[in-house]
Amino acid sequence: MRVAIAEDSVLLREGVAQLLTDAGIEVTARCGTADELLTRVAADPPDAVIVDIRMPPTHPDEGMQAALTIRKKYPDIGVLVLSQYVEVGLAMRLLADSAEGAGYLLKDRVSEVKEFIAALRRVADGGSALDPTIVSTMLKRRRSSDPLDSLTPREREVLELMATGASNAGIAESMVITQRAAEKYVSTIFTKLGIPASGSESRRVLAVLLFLRS
Amino acid sequence: MAAVLPLLPERHRTAPRPALLWALGAAAVAACVVTAALASVNEELYQPALRVLLVWWVTLPYIFAGIVAWRRRPDSFFGPLMILAGFITQLSILQWTSQPLFNTVGQLCDLLVAAVWLHVFLAYPTGRLAGRAERVVVIVGYAAAVGLQVVILMLGGFNDLHVLTVVKRQTAAEAVQNLQLITLSALALIGVGLLWWRWRSLPRWQRRRPAQILINCFSLSLVMLAALMLAGALQLPGFEIIRLATFAVAGLAPLAFLAGLLDARLAKAGVGELLVQLRADPTPDLRELLAHALRDPTLSLIYWLPQYGSWADKDGNPATLPEPDSGRRITLVEQDGEPVAALVYDATLGEEPELLEAVSAAAGIALENGRLEAELRARLQELQGSRSRVVEAQQNERRRLERNLHDGAQQRLVALALELGLLAEKANSDPATQDRLQRARSEVSESLDELRDIARGLHPAVVSGHGLAVALESLVAATPLEVQLNTDGLPRLSEPLEVAAYYVVSESLTNAAKHAQAKRVTVDVGVTDGTLIAEIVDNGIGGADSERGTGLRGLADRVEALNGRLRVWSAAGSGTRVRAEIPCG
Repeated sequence: MRVAIAEDSVLLREGVAQLLTDAGIEVTARCGTADELLTRVAADPPDAVIVDIRMPPTHPDEGMQAALTIRKKYPDIGVLVLSQYVEVGLAMRLLADSAEGAGYLLKDRVSEVKEFIAALRRVADGGSALDPTIVSTMLKRRRSSDPLDSLTPREREVLELMATGASNAGIAESMVITQRAAEKYVSTIFTKLGIPASGSESRRVLAVLLFLRS
Repeated sequence: MAAVLPLLPERHRTAPRPALLWALGAAAVAACVVTAALASVNEELYQPALRVLLVWWVTLPYIFAGIVAWRRRPDSFFGPLMILAGFITQLSILQWTSQPLFNTVGQLCDLLVAAVWLHVFLAYPTGRLAGRAERVVVIVGYAAAVGLQVVILMLGGFNDLHVLTVVKRQTAAEAVQNLQLITLSALALIGVGLLWWRWRSLPRWQRRRPAQILINCFSLSLVMLAALMLAGALQLPGFEIIRLATFAVAGLAPLAFLAGLLDARLAKAGVGELLVQLRADPTPDLRELLAHALRDPTLSLIYWLPQYGSWADKDGNPATLPEPDSGRRITLVEQDGEPVAALVYDATLGEEPELLEAVSAAAGIALENGRLEAELRARLQELQGSRSRVVEAQQNERRRLERNLHDGAQQRLVALALELGLLAEKANSDPATQDRLQRARSEVSESLDELRDIARGLHPAVVSGHGLAVALESLVAATPLEVQLNTDGLPRLSEPLEVAAYYVVSESLTNAAKHAQAKRVTVDVGVTDGTLIAEIVDNGIGGADSERGTGLRGLADRVEALNGRLRVWSAAGSGTRVRAEIPCG
């Protein structure tokens, strides 16, 4: 897998590059600005990019703009956005059209090496990775006659994992259950929440997000 | 109170020196003596004693009324004009001598007297001719009186004593003289018409002033003047009688002018009204009242703010005194030697210092109050400004700290966590080390969480980075309430504005969740007519108090610092509505 990095902090940029190299991932570009990233991606399209959302001293949403540009111009390139803060508003913006090949994680998730690499691979393969903080924040919202109340605690756990972009296999592994059991949970949840079941794992991320947001 | 001190004294003509006035008086008396002497040596003069008395009767009132008017109204040209009229009458007497040069001067001034009288009537009370028509009448009058007289004399008119005779054409001279007399009588009648028209346009109460009525009566002497000249031209009988009557009336006219000029009723009427109005309304629009009392709608009133060492209008906005050549005049109202206020008015009002003085005195306390109010408003503006600066400085400082945290400590801690994570991956061989590294890593992650909260509390970076709409969506998502958010069509705005609105919504949502026991909240944020409006309505218990709650007070400070307004409706039991309106400009 080939990945380009855009991160203004040298320390972090080199750290992430090291992390990727150690995991056998090729780092095609190490960029300090969003413009540089766009240039390098155009010259040598990677499988995925890792973008810091806020790269001073220029515009504070330059990283986000670059991420949106790449998603539009190169639908095949996975875009993983990193940020010191995760904002539901920004997640909705990033995933406005689809959650395919898109991820949005807190920056310090990079230190959870295995999970981070897994998320990156998922995004590069067209899947999704949404920070659990966002999902749990959205789940805290109260709604009148909330269908979420009808979920069992286990089902809620599955919903959270599903919303972060985990595959059925990933859910099974996290919850230490069989993949069939995971699939069954997923379809029960969809029925209870009234969300039409859709095949793709990243499509269901958006479906769940839109449900949670409503 | 209310010592009135006119500023810019160079704009006021100073009073004539007493010596000059005494000299003029003495000259008038001397001229009268000369008149008597000339009459006594002229044997051809018809009824010399009566003629002398008539001349005295006409010239002395003009000159002495002129002297008094000049002294009392140094700003008005009217005094000097009356003096001039008197002396010209005297000069015309020189035609009684047989000395050729003096006789010529006397002949030239013969009808100039009529023109000067016309001038005097039309120039009352300022001494200046107000309108174009008046100017034309007076100029044509002088031209006819002097110019045609020269022509007549050159044609050998009147007698042989003067020096101007060029040819002897008696008939032509008489024709020109008739033309001259008819012209002057027509001008006198036009003058009466102009005076009548001017009187019509005066305010009703001024029309009825006794002095004005007196002046109107004497304006009729212009009609008599016209009749006199017509009689002369047509050689009607009774010319001498008409002359007698005309001069008798004309000699009294200066007294009427003097009475009008010095009339104090004018001032008193306005001042009385002003006092009544001030008593009826203790907080009046003072400018309006003074403008009315001084009959100058353009009057402006500015206050001296000693603390600021500057002039200001009634709202405390800085003001400046007009330039000396702007056609405006200034009267300073002082108390204990300190300026309180300045009246800025049309320069023609300067003719009435007593009126200004009386009005300033009557408005004394009100002016002092107005000054205090202006000072208060100036200070309020200053406070507003300094509060804006304090809020802005605080905002900048918080943003700087947040940025420093983001670019510094947070980045380093993330790098550290990453390093620990990588080490933990590599320390496969030693589970104990791996375990400790993982624990250290999650310790750092927790520190990062805490730091993130601090940074977010310092400054909502997402607002400046991605705009109010995105930030509010996140905010609403994190609120444990059912929130209906509407930010449709919300454009990007300036950072202070977006941050203030963000805090308004954030604080209101926190209050709704924490204190108001609300279940549902609607948040509407949008721009209408250049004003950012953020309205948050909950269905909680109400009873919020913007004065007591430090949160709401702080919000009001933020909003007001941007010239906005924060309002809270929170009757107990009927929910809370918070509405912030902040101008975008």
